[in-house]
Amino acid sequence: MIKSNDTDIQIAICGSAGDGTIASGDIMKRAAAAMGFNVIAFDVYPPEIRGFGKCISRIRISSKQTYSLKQESDVLVSLNDSHAIPHAAEVRDFGVVIYDDNLVARVAEGGHISAHIDAAQIPYGFSIRQISEQATNSSRSRNVVILGCLAGLFDLSAENFHDIIAKKFATKAQSVIDDNTKAFDAGLKAGRTVFRLDDIKVRAGKIKSNGAEAVMMTGNGAVVRGFLESEIESYFGYPITPATSIMERLAVEMPPRGGKFLQTEDEISAIAATIGAAYTGSRAATATSGPGLALMAEMIGLGVMAEVPSVVVVSQRGGPSTGLPTKTEQSDLNLAVFGGSGDAQRIVLAPTNVEGCYRCAGMAFDIAEIYQTPVILLIDLYLSNRYETVVPADAGTYTPKPRPQINLEGGENYKRFEMTKNHISPRALPGQPGLMYTATGLEHNEQGRPNDDAHMDMSIKRHEKLKGAVHYPGLNVSKRFGDKGKVDVGILGWGSTFGEILETMYQAQAEGISCSAMKVVMLSPLPLQSIEDFFDDCREVLIPELNYEGQFAGLVCGALGRPVTRLSRATGSPMVVREILDEVRRLSGREPAPVQAVGAMGARS
Amino acid sequence: MNERVQPVYLEEKLEEIRADGHLEYRSKSLPTWCPGCGYFSMVEGLTTALKRLEIDSKDTVVVSGIGCASRFPFFVNTYGFHTLHGRVLPVATGVKIGNDALTVVAVGGDGDAFAIGGGHIPHAARRNVNLTYLVFDNGIYGLTKGQTSPTSALGFKTSSTPYENRDAPLHPLMMLLSYGASWVGQAYAGRQHHLADMITQAVSHQGFSFLRVLSPCVTFDKTNNTYANLNTTVRDLPDDHDNSNLMAAMNQASRDDHPALGLYYKEDRETLEQVMKATASRSVKTGTGRADKQ
Repeated sequence: MIKSNDTDIQIAICGSAGDGTIASGDIMKRAAAAMGFNVIAFDVYPPEIRGFGKCISRIRISSKQTYSLKQESDVLVSLNDSHAIPHAAEVRDFGVVIYDDNLVARVAEGGHISAHIDAAQIPYGFSIRQISEQATNSSRSRNVVILGCLAGLFDLSAENFHDIIAKKFATKAQSVIDDNTKAFDAGLKAGRTVFRLDDIKVRAGKIKSNGAEAVMMTGNGAVVRGFLESEIESYFGYPITPATSIMERLAVEMPPRGGKFLQTEDEISAIAATIGAAYTGSRAATATSGPGLALMAEMIGLGVMAEVPSVVVVSQRGGPSTGLPTKTEQSDLNLAVFGGSGDAQRIVLAPTNVEGCYRCAGMAFDIAEIYQTPVILLIDLYLSNRYETVVPADAGTYTPKPRPQINLEGGENYKRFEMTKNHISPRALPGQPGLMYTATGLEHNEQGRPNDDAHMDMSIKRHEKLKGAVHYPGLNVSKRFGDKGKVDVGILGWGSTFGEILETMYQAQAEGISCSAMKVVMLSPLPLQSIEDFFDDCREVLIPELNYEGQFAGLVCGALGRPVTRLSRATGSPMVVREILDEVRRLSGREPAPVQAVGAMGARS
Repeated sequence: MNERVQPVYLEEKLEEIRADGHLEYRSKSLPTWCPGCGYFSMVEGLTTALKRLEIDSKDTVVVSGIGCASRFPFFVNTYGFHTLHGRVLPVATGVKIGNDALTVVAVGGDGDAFAIGGGHIPHAARRNVNLTYLVFDNGIYGLTKGQTSPTSALGFKTSSTPYENRDAPLHPLMMLLSYGASWVGQAYAGRQHHLADMITQAVSHQGFSFLRVLSPCVTFDKTNNTYANLNTTVRDLPDDHDNSNLMAAMNQASRDDHPALGLYYKEDRETLEQVMKATASRSVKTGTGRADKQ
């Protein structure tokens, strides 16, 4: 919980594509992380590269552990008033709005943000453009001037900003670093000289102790780091938002480590080559989004059938079809868990935060190799692109486990798909003498020869072998938070939404509601026992998720046959804490049921 | 076959086959193709080639897609991967990248290659993946019982073109030449020794080698690519054909009415594996960014 003397401010920087909004937010969050704060940051940007689309960078800076962005920002910085005006309302009472009060052009009535600031909000006008021009002879440094203003206003360490600016532009000319530093310093001077209210304060004394060790990364960056630490050997990818940055980062990081990286001609070939490389024993992965996963479904089925390990990262975005390429959604659960032909159970892991992305990616290859099946890492745009501070694991934590050796006399007796006690068979790799076999997508017998009669036995083998996965050591396949024992309301969640769920739960507890929350990280196979235990303890179970159909609720209901209340939202934006909280209050009996237009899918099922 | 000759012939033949040593590359599963199918000579051709090149069967992976031809891996005693319809090349590319010490042979029919898998061929060719792609081209879908394929002749009546095929057939050799394949050849199932020679050359080539093998489907094609027809229409490439001349190769490849057998084109070019190694050493020199710089 955030106490009143803790630091917990959220800054929203809003501008037009090309204003440097995202870059500004980037420096801000890096500087805050360098100061030792917990940082959660998420950018919203349009699908177009240029043009006049709206960009918002939101950064939550906190001295305590937080789980999601706040619904209300403490500070709004406008680099473009027409985009920022609708966001004035997201600033809390006694929050700050920073804008340019010295415009060079006349604006129409109502076109300036100062006309939209609430009486309870505190306006800070700076001559942002003028300061930039005076410092660097260019208005292009406005995005750095405002950082100076923020640092001055909140007494943030200029040293950290100078350092991050130098690092960010390290590959550019020295003059770029100099100009940005000058712009920052000019903003800093302006920020320090204005009258300050005491309400918003960043208390430097509250820096968390392990701040120096924590690294700030995105969900995608965390996946990359997990892959590298678990010694990924081959990667095949095809560009698609929001998974592309995984590919771009691995393209840089893998070759010097001797890894093989290839941009393929489509998603089908990306997964095909991944499975081809994995067949030879290489630690192989690919990453995509929903549309790419749809194309990969058939090949994932081959991986299940031929028992070839592989890792597929899926960062969901709004769908169906091309959908909302730059907006978040959790609507590929069904495709990830069930996609493809036939009974093709695979392992699906859905981490709930950036740290989880790192840990799941670090363990994914071992899990895939042990269970000899595809592992899907199901994340979403909100997780892929948001920044959080993460404490890295000890060196060697994700070093590959040694492969079990096959001790067989030789070819005559070798059965690639041998029925064993744990249903996992000895896997030969090409190059090993005497163990030649043909892997196939056809149903096959223990030797791997096509055989329809083996279908029932082999179906049992392929499903039973995964059952142990829910006990995989070191992996929290599910975890309960909040009140223990019997509670009135239990919130069950998965993926990126769980941050908002936790925030909600703590607020509900603060209101005196008996409440508990559980995250489910392994979506296939489901950890049914712990979910069932959770249902037994909760009078009401609420499942909030970012899709229209309530896919996770459907999965759980189908597996347990127990009633849940769905809170399914397809808005392209992260879940709103207030909305979950209202539902929790209603279910707890605290308030009369509000009338909500949630549609047929939102009804109790 | 008359009784006087038969026992002598079989004894001699079996002795010859055993002495040759390539039987160790045959699996214990007998091919499931129709008697008379041109694909039998492909098993003979590849096993002969592997024996000649002294490539250990444990170091060989035969990858296939779906179709009659794609059952091939089960009939050879190597590592094999029978994959999905049309996806033989990307899987084979992954196998080669996963372990470049392996000899990788991709096999499939004309439907697997040029219909559903057509999008992958240019990329395997331009990347010059060091593998061999054998396409058994019979101009018909056999496993689904006789539908038209992208190389079916105009006017061919099949179960899916009961009123004649009016889709112009593709020219596989011209396609591969323009895609940048670094070794392009053609053989005929009815000329087994030549076929084995061509497969041997294709496998020993450093880079992407494409061999189209004209092969009759004795069950579903009684009119076009029959042994009788192909025996009269195939010809050898002219003695003076310059297989380093792309335009000369194109010119020969355009004459599908009298398909020429032999090596059309060959060039030495950096393979994908070599490119990856060069990139690796370059990246070490230039240094890298940090994993957390996202």
